[in-house]
Amino acid sequence: MTIQDLIARTLRIGVTVACVIAFIGGIIYLVNHGSEPFELERYLHFSYSDPHSPAFTTVGGIFDGFLGFTAVGWIQMGVLVLILTPVMRVLLSMFDFLRERDWLYALICAVVLAVIISNSLEGMA
Amino acid sequence: MTILVFTLILLLAAYCAGLLGSLTGLGGGVVIIPVLTLGFGVDFHYAIGAALVSSIATSSGSGSAYVKEGMTNVRLGMFLEIATSIGAVCGAAVAIYLNNNIIAVIYGCVLLLTAAMQQRRKSDHDGVKGSEMARRLRLYGTFPQKDGSLKRYELRHVGGGFSVMYVAGVLSGILGIGSGVLKVLAMDAMMKVPFKVSTTTSNFMMGVTACASAVIYVQRGIIEPGLACPVMIGVLLGALTGARLLKQMNVKVLRQIFCVAITLVALNMIWQGMAGQY
Repeated sequence: MTIQDLIARTLRIGVTVACVIAFIGGIIYLVNHGSEPFELERYLHFSYSDPHSPAFTTVGGIFDGFLGFTAVGWIQMGVLVLILTPVMRVLLSMFDFLRERDWLYALICAVVLAVIISNSLEGMA
Repeated sequence: MTILVFTLILLLAAYCAGLLGSLTGLGGGVVIIPVLTLGFGVDFHYAIGAALVSSIATSSGSGSAYVKEGMTNVRLGMFLEIATSIGAVCGAAVAIYLNNNIIAVIYGCVLLLTAAMQQRRKSDHDGVKGSEMARRLRLYGTFPQKDGSLKRYELRHVGGGFSVMYVAGVLSGILGIGSGVLKVLAMDAMMKVPFKVSTTTSNFMMGVTACASAVIYVQRGIIEPGLACPVMIGVLLGALTGARLLKQMNVKVLRQIFCVAITLVALNMIWQGMAGQY
């Protein structure tokens, strides 16, 4: 399999898995709350200083929700898998460049990975 | 209205946004933001969170086919992702200080630029003499033509393209969209990359660019599950349908109509933003 095929396959599988997980979360949400009246008010104003539930803003909270089969946990887990998909793509490309002894491009992949990971860790801290 | 009805309406709207975004080449993220803010009155921040998620989904979902065909220049994409990912981190850091009105004006300007760029002639840039820098970075490539043969191309102005990509990254970090317009501007107009290669490579890069700021967005509570779930699924399905339709449809007229529409939306947003109405 060429690197093109590998990248294409990684992207396709990642996005499919992410959407299936989020879709299951959506179904859980609609089964539990679908018949409740919809209140647009909760989407009208956003403020960084508002308290946001850890159930959908922290990796720990999302994992707990995922294991507990909550709608929010599954939807956000889908989002996390989706975010990881391009990261996997960069990682795989890096291994491929290393195998080809293309040090410059392996380094470029490593730099991109470092930027994404450092920024994500900072966000979680 | 119940939550079920709202979710289904949102799913349908997101599907149409994905379809239009794909047929016009703008990307679903660009279309979903005005649908949510002007259509439903949702706060810009939540709209941006939903757009960000759908940008990653469409980039990965429709990007895979182009990579397989060999249209995408993977090296060029990887190299320029350094600039876009650093830009996205900066954009996400700046975003905290921007209120809805400023975001609306910035978004309106990006839309205007998008409409203007749609008028550009799509060129293969035949006979471009590549620069030494591009040769050393081994950015020259080939792309498949209609008859199946491969055509070689060279490119130049690596530094300039890299700088514009940084700006594209900053805008992605602030707006959650792929900023395809700036990416194509950098590759097509500046670096003289063939148009088809520019657009597919831009699409390929969107996922990684959006990723760089996505975790921070989750942590800030901008990615709201009730909105993100139907938007992500709807936009992705719409984009996939669009990619299929695109092969058998002439979208010239649609693009012109859409160009006028987004110009009006852009002017509306800039106007309301300047008047402080968000």
